[in-house]
Amino acid sequence: MTNEITIHLDINGKTHSLSVEPRVTLLDALRDHLALTGTKKGCDQGQCGACTVHVNGERVLSCLTLAAQAEGQKITTIEGLSDHGAELHPVQAAFLEHDAFQCGYCTPGQIMSAVACIREGHTGSDDEIREYMSGNLCRCGAYPHIIEAVREAAKVMS
Amino acid sequence: MTIVETRAKRGDASDGTLGGRLSRIDGPAKITGAADYALERQPDGMVHAVLVDSTIASGRVLSIDAEAAEAAPGVLLVMTPDNALPIKSATDWLGTPPPDVPYEPLARTITFSGQHVAAVIAETFEQATSAAALVKVTYEDTAAIASFDDPRAGDGMAIDQMTVEWGDAEAALASAPVRISQEYKTPREYNVPIEPHGLIAHWQGDTLTVWEPSQWIDGMARTYAEWFDIPFENVRLRSPYIGGGFGSKALPLEHGAIAINAARMLGRPVKLAVTRPQTFTAYGGRPATRQTIALGATREGKLLSIVHRGANETSITGIAVEPLGSVTSIMYATPNFSSRQNIVPVNTVKPGALRAPGENPSAFGIECAIDELAYEVGIDPLEIRLLNYAEEDPHAKKPWSTRRLREAYAAGAEAIGWSNRDPRPRSMRVGNQLIGYGVAAGTYPVRRTPGEALVRILSDGTVEVASSSIDMGQGTYTILAQTAAEAIGVPVETVRVKLGDSALPRAPVAGGSQLANLMTGAVHKAALAARDELIGLAINDPNSPFRALQANTLVIENGQIASPRDTGSAVAIAEVMRRTGRDKIETLRNTLPEKLRNDKDHFRNFTTISTMLSPTDGDYSLHSWCVHFVEVRVDVDFGTVRVARMVSALDSGRLYNPKLAESQWKGGIIMGIGQALLEEGIVDSRHGRVINNNLGDYLVPTNADIPDLEVISVGIPDTHASVLGGKAVGELAIVGVAPAIANAVYHATGVRVRDLPITLEKLI
Repeated sequence: MTNEITIHLDINGKTHSLSVEPRVTLLDALRDHLALTGTKKGCDQGQCGACTVHVNGERVLSCLTLAAQAEGQKITTIEGLSDHGAELHPVQAAFLEHDAFQCGYCTPGQIMSAVACIREGHTGSDDEIREYMSGNLCRCGAYPHIIEAVREAAKVMS
Repeated sequence: MTIVETRAKRGDASDGTLGGRLSRIDGPAKITGAADYALERQPDGMVHAVLVDSTIASGRVLSIDAEAAEAAPGVLLVMTPDNALPIKSATDWLGTPPPDVPYEPLARTITFSGQHVAAVIAETFEQATSAAALVKVTYEDTAAIASFDDPRAGDGMAIDQMTVEWGDAEAALASAPVRISQEYKTPREYNVPIEPHGLIAHWQGDTLTVWEPSQWIDGMARTYAEWFDIPFENVRLRSPYIGGGFGSKALPLEHGAIAINAARMLGRPVKLAVTRPQTFTAYGGRPATRQTIALGATREGKLLSIVHRGANETSITGIAVEPLGSVTSIMYATPNFSSRQNIVPVNTVKPGALRAPGENPSAFGIECAIDELAYEVGIDPLEIRLLNYAEEDPHAKKPWSTRRLREAYAAGAEAIGWSNRDPRPRSMRVGNQLIGYGVAAGTYPVRRTPGEALVRILSDGTVEVASSSIDMGQGTYTILAQTAAEAIGVPVETVRVKLGDSALPRAPVAGGSQLANLMTGAVHKAALAARDELIGLAINDPNSPFRALQANTLVIENGQIASPRDTGSAVAIAEVMRRTGRDKIETLRNTLPEKLRNDKDHFRNFTTISTMLSPTDGDYSLHSWCVHFVEVRVDVDFGTVRVARMVSALDSGRLYNPKLAESQWKGGIIMGIGQALLEEGIVDSRHGRVINNNLGDYLVPTNADIPDLEVISVGIPDTHASVLGGKAVGELAIVGVAPAIANAVYHATGVRVRDLPITLEKLI
């Protein structure tokens, strides 16, 4: 029979207890077990960036992270980026203003990556932003607008 | 059904009207993670299906040993052709009646690698994935034709409907003072939406609910109804948000039938998500193409003849035609023309539609060839295009409705600084970088299908718009809100738009770049009818403040009804509704012509493409136009190509929301940059398999590959093309990008690359 383990995940400031098989990824735990579907599955093999979340403030691919590995870490997803009902995070606001997305499916990953990119100090030039945002694919082709949004949000946040 | 409400906009009040730069109203949901894509539903009792695909490209399945998989934890069913419940064949998208044979989405005969042969359904995704690896399939393997480069593939079969000829092209070519002839090739290319395909199927008795990303709710619902032999009304297809499609999510696919059948067999909701590697074989992208183009011209560069021969790959069992002469036959004036096309069956999944099917590779051929002719006769590539400018549609012999291509050439040339270009190849250089400037034009036809929409004015004065059309990022939610707001005279914030649900009024396919035009037309019509009814109410009802005034004297602005002769009389819509005791005004309108206004044709209009008008039905030839100017930098030692700058001038007629249209244009341009420099399905000739079936090996553009892009709108409203003056947007901008880059690379290096993508080994 299935061998399940109980884990406790600190997500967006709230502790969730769940019973999952050890092979369940953080991505599937979020989407299928905790109904936090803002984090997207684009490739499930670490190539597209749609599943980007923050673990202890750093950007991480949740499809390449087992849920059990994240126990005891501080996880932030797109749902927790701004307080519920509060103002949008400056990166979210800039994405809306600059139309930095179309279909929206890569967008939560782009935004989580962008927040980390700014925090890492990799917004010194447009070329630097391009380089440090290249782990997140966007097939609709919003890249120039993503650059505008990250550049503007970095200014607002500094 | 998803309801999207407008939020506080930025900019000024004009943003909310049609033509304003309103931010997309579905944006807040998408940037907060609240947008609920189809596969994110979790109905009670849902189980998971994982596909087992063929590992050979040609042959047949001898046996399927499911014993180990069936014994694995959590497994509920291993579905094979032998235990699957029967499914009926369905009408195709053209409206062709189905053959009277069962439809078998799980294959016994194998015609391509990656064909679905079985499916494992288990309680959890992990259990199904693990058990799928335990299914043992044995095959009888026969020799496969891996691609149309295999000599055994032959020349394929002629598609006579694609033949276009006038004058005597062969004779005129033979006697032309200048002749060039070359072959141009494009590889298999894939749609790669970041949201993979999939669905959740849920039966309740003989009604079926399917949550699935779809570019065509009503067309897919019809197929599902026919497959499973239930009335159309019993299928509810829901597709609130679509994570990209680019042509690949318009038609039902085998995995859909498998998941729905599994749900029927198990009596539980089934979720099937296609894995990323499976997105390369569960449906086809753009087929590989090759074209031979011979141009005959005067020594001054005036075209005398075009002889064009094209071929594209198709599957062994299906017919897929990528119309390679579609741009060739209309871009330039020539007295003699001949275009013919073959399709070549090979062991591949049936190719599908990928952004501008036909126009895209067609433009790669003719726009490279005309560039080659410019160098051959020694004139500027821009000048040769103006010299051979088509003043009317040379194929249909009809006037263009609008063709702002001259204006596009002028605006783009000015913005890129074309006059600074040294015309000699390999003449411009900075350090180790060779610099090249290239130009190419593109076009996409205006396709037209009638639409339908419901508009509702509610008692609180707010407005609802409802349609089964979809928004996969084109901006449907937003422009329909703008249309209704403007037509009725209410603030755009008070309009809610409901889309993506087969329970709503019908819509045709979101394909062929037709949806924005036909849906704004339908919403405009329904909204004006609602406005008329509101005005009528205001005048005729004894409780109305406007009783006995003339209808045409009332205006509605900003949600207030007023008589212009008495500006102090303004009354809110909600107040009129209250005083007249109405809880809503509801108008359902379609734009079907009189002869199609019957139940049968209404159904046919929205569930097949048989009523779609061609761009030359009528007195004019209707097309969008564009031109791309590119500056590339090529490393002289390594042959690496970077697009340094790009300016595109585009004529899509009137733009309903320039902010969103520009995004779509740029998206097409970026996909074109990928096509030019990166994208290629690499076929392993030994196994008949595309080996780079993932996003680490099938390279799509990343942010670092893309420079700033400048797009310039040169369009004017074209009311021959659509009611509100728009032309095609979504598929236009990719057309012409790859040849512009290829031409720039030639200018930079002196090396002419005629087979995409332009990778470094072709330049060093």
